[in-house]
Amino acid sequence: MPEPKQLSEQIAAFIESQIGQAVTILELEQLAGGGSLDTWRIRATSPDEEWHLVMRRDLETVMVAESLSREQEFKLLQAAYESGVRVPRPRWQSNDPAVLDKPFFMMDYVEGFSIGRIIVKAPEAEPARQVLPELMAEQIALIHAIDWQKHGLDFLPAPQHGNTPADEALLSVRKELYRLDIHNPAIEFGLRWLDKNQPPYQLSLVHGDFRLGNFQIGLPYGLNAVIDWEFAHIGDPLEDLAWPCVRDWRFGMGHLRLAGIADREPFLQTYERHTGQAIDRTAVDYWEIMGNLRWAVTCLAQADRHLSGRDPSVEFASLGRRSAEMQMEMLRLIQATGVG
Amino acid sequence: MYDLPDASHLIEAVYQHLEMNIAPMLKGDAAQRKLYFQTLVAINVLKVAERELVLRPRHLKAEWGRLNRLQEIDLHMPENSEELADLLARRNIQLCTDIRDGQYDSPENASALLAHLTMTAQEQLEVANPRFLQGLAAEDAAKK
Repeated sequence: MPEPKQLSEQIAAFIESQIGQAVTILELEQLAGGGSLDTWRIRATSPDEEWHLVMRRDLETVMVAESLSREQEFKLLQAAYESGVRVPRPRWQSNDPAVLDKPFFMMDYVEGFSIGRIIVKAPEAEPARQVLPELMAEQIALIHAIDWQKHGLDFLPAPQHGNTPADEALLSVRKELYRLDIHNPAIEFGLRWLDKNQPPYQLSLVHGDFRLGNFQIGLPYGLNAVIDWEFAHIGDPLEDLAWPCVRDWRFGMGHLRLAGIADREPFLQTYERHTGQAIDRTAVDYWEIMGNLRWAVTCLAQADRHLSGRDPSVEFASLGRRSAEMQMEMLRLIQATGVG
Repeated sequence: MYDLPDASHLIEAVYQHLEMNIAPMLKGDAAQRKLYFQTLVAINVLKVAERELVLRPRHLKAEWGRLNRLQEIDLHMPENSEELADLLARRNIQLCTDIRDGQYDSPENASALLAHLTMTAQEQLEVANPRFLQGLAAEDAAKK
């Protein structure tokens, strides 16, 4: 990894090559979070413009092998931006290792805070909590309406061989369990139940990580940007409605099903109003069970990064034992829905 | 026999050290935010290990008994804790196969299995995160 000074020079040279003007870097700060990516905030100036940018760059280990490349994430961001979704304006992208070692892209910086546990509890976030359910519904409806073929997003993972979106999700969990050599009866039961109780589905672009933590929240608008598109795919849109309800994404406010900030129902009703389609609540429950199952397995996969010696880390190690929370939640939701 | 302190005491000594001497030094320092967070995780992990030492023998036995009832067989439970853990792991591999093969698809079998699995998850959480269980209980109580 280059020293920030060298990195700063490389970034300046790259932006110069894109805009054809001399560029001075005023500020370069590494941002926390995002286990799989190296993220930097950049302030720069050129004769005609002030730039406030965010760069997302690959790290050595990729958290989930199926996540998008930076080039793909950039194209997707362009499609979302053109479709009126609140996203950071995408700027430039490069895979050339001579530029910054690893593939990366740059986009405009969007003001706001994203830390889930603060948004659900802090008094100053109360106005945001008031408007978020509506805004989340509006934004996810816009995302689901994006014509992925027209925007050339055919590279997105999509159900194969006549599989349903649920088949596809279950298959990826199975592969992961096989890779990790894990035999966990609760997870096995979840897989079986989800396989046998699949609801009817539609296909749309799915954000894939639509939850608190991936929203830039600010006032007065509330939801300034939807970020972190690396898990986008073609799938069942209900997946995106259920994911922000998964208990772990309620950040300790367990009784408020939508993201720890509100009941689920107003969110779903607003989504129905925007899309003009009725949503089967049981099918959303189904995807919440799926979300917990996948998160339970991801925790075990993260622990394996430590156990295998690839990425020694007390944080990864601790995630292995957090999996039981998701397993418990999955079992409770199955119980509530009915085992049969 | 080893002299005191035993493993539990040693674990406790380390997390107390982290809590009293290390975490306060890092708290509130923006440059140390990541290290502070990792230290809190480390303290928590040691408390998980401490609870595991206390609860593991009881939980292994309970799981063995539940599996016997679920599968309606009376397999003899090994006295030795490590042997018990090893055999339990093997029984769970078999249980996974049985679930995949559809042996628990009927509503009665599925209910019995679900009850067993919920109890196992509960035991896991008694070790890994007792506060999570308290949160669920409080929520359930509020709903009633």
